[in-house]
Amino acid sequence: MKPGHNLNSSPPPEDLAHLRLLHLADSALPIGALAHSFGLESLVSADILTVSELPGFLHGYLQEAGMLEAVACREAFQLAGAGQEKFPAERWIEINDCLSALKPARESRAASAALGRNFLQAALSLGEFPFLQEAQEVSINSMSLIHHSTAFGLVSATFAFDETRAVLAYLHQMTASLLSACQRLVPLGQSEATRILWNLKSAIVDTSVLSESFTLDTVSCFMPLLDWGAMEHPALPTRLFIS
Amino acid sequence: MTATAKEALLEIGPDIPGPSRVRAAMHLDFSRDFATGSTFLAASFQQPPLKVVRAFSLEDGGALAHLHNASGGLLGGDNLALEINLGCRTSVQLTTTGATRIYRQRPEFSPTTQQNKVTVGEGALLEYLPDALIPFADAHFQQSTSIDLAAGAGLFWWEILAPGREARGELFEYEQFEMRTRVSALGRKIAMENICLRPAARDVSSISRLGPYRYIATFYMCRVGLGESEWRALEDRLHDFAGSMALRDEVLWGISSLVAHGLVARCLARHGRDVLPGLHTLWREAKLRLYGREAVPPRKVN
Repeated sequence: MKPGHNLNSSPPPEDLAHLRLLHLADSALPIGALAHSFGLESLVSADILTVSELPGFLHGYLQEAGMLEAVACREAFQLAGAGQEKFPAERWIEINDCLSALKPARESRAASAALGRNFLQAALSLGEFPFLQEAQEVSINSMSLIHHSTAFGLVSATFAFDETRAVLAYLHQMTASLLSACQRLVPLGQSEATRILWNLKSAIVDTSVLSESFTLDTVSCFMPLLDWGAMEHPALPTRLFIS
Repeated sequence: MTATAKEALLEIGPDIPGPSRVRAAMHLDFSRDFATGSTFLAASFQQPPLKVVRAFSLEDGGALAHLHNASGGLLGGDNLALEINLGCRTSVQLTTTGATRIYRQRPEFSPTTQQNKVTVGEGALLEYLPDALIPFADAHFQQSTSIDLAAGAGLFWWEILAPGREARGELFEYEQFEMRTRVSALGRKIAMENICLRPAARDVSSISRLGPYRYIATFYMCRVGLGESEWRALEDRLHDFAGSMALRDEVLWGISSLVAHGLVARCLARHGRDVLPGLHTLWREAKLRLYGREAVPPRKVN
């Protein structure tokens, strides 16, 4: 037993926060993350992406899409940071609207919004959280989407997670989910997938660090081939994924 | 000089010295002659090297203007600002007289910048149909564009980015190319694009970016007020055209609905020759569907 830790007392808050973050960032959290490939299915279907290119692709994905989502996650996190008494509803809508506008492909935008909506609902089912409740209500009333990264950031701040740890966890689950989609699309075994994800850890950290320097107005995202894949996806004759 | 043009000049960097550096603004206001129903260039402010010689009348009552750059391209350190306002129920075509060359950056100058600010009034239509942007080796370019659409406003707006001077084997040798585009309708953002390409730092030809393709084009087609189902129907229709124009390993076309009020088409092509004809095809079909009118390509004056 850890010296000084009394089993009858409340657990150390940082340990509890760590476990909660692990739980919410688990790619198996039932919010539907495993049903989306975000255009990857089209790239595989068109023989544009192969197994051998996967590590490089995911590295680039983190630098581009990962960076965009990390910045959005941070901006949403800061809405509910320490000392915030009133929920900044207008800014919440603005952040989500910006992210919607930055996603050119309808299906990927809808996928991100479905995950965000489900994630926020899952968090709301865990207790009474006025900021989260208000975030959900204002988004519905203004017909604004709630994206996964923004919901993750807002929930993480509400649960008093550390901002950087939250961004790292978000990026990790995002990469893991996409890798999981790859396992169903291309001949990629468990061991190889594990190795790929293991080797991407430093790229995840780099993305998180760099994301501190940008806002949604300044962050760049250039993935035209994946955008094409996401735009083409509705027309695929046989589809394993919703997006 | 109008107050707005003065402000534009101040915004594009008043504190950067340099004898051969160019700071220039152009401001074009289009209005509708309600007696004839035709659009005319009501006011303009132009500083060299930016120039519009005149606005030509089109058969459908619209106006066509050619955006000239008298220096033959964007030189390192040039800071240009373009402001275009379309009044209520005007119809304007803007085009360039050729590809926009972005020359190499001279180390003593700041990056070449172009700021575009566009407002499209109620029921107006802007068709912005330029040739490609060609960043030369060592070019450093930043473009920012904001487009505001009022109720009933329409937009056909494309941008084509070439990899460089392809004919001389110059591919992705520019230093940095930044393009930030914002399209808003009724005050709400419906499309944003932020790209910053630094080929020496990040491989543009990575499979996560352009892959084997070299050219990229983005084409926004908007008409404020149409509902989601109408856009989905047009998306399906244009997707059929996109499919017929696609050629494996040569050119890809993607079509998607925006958040609201419009569509975006994305082209990736190995060769520039495939891009403009495809854009024209989509433009023709979309204009016919959205406006019931033929899309007439602008006459070039060069």
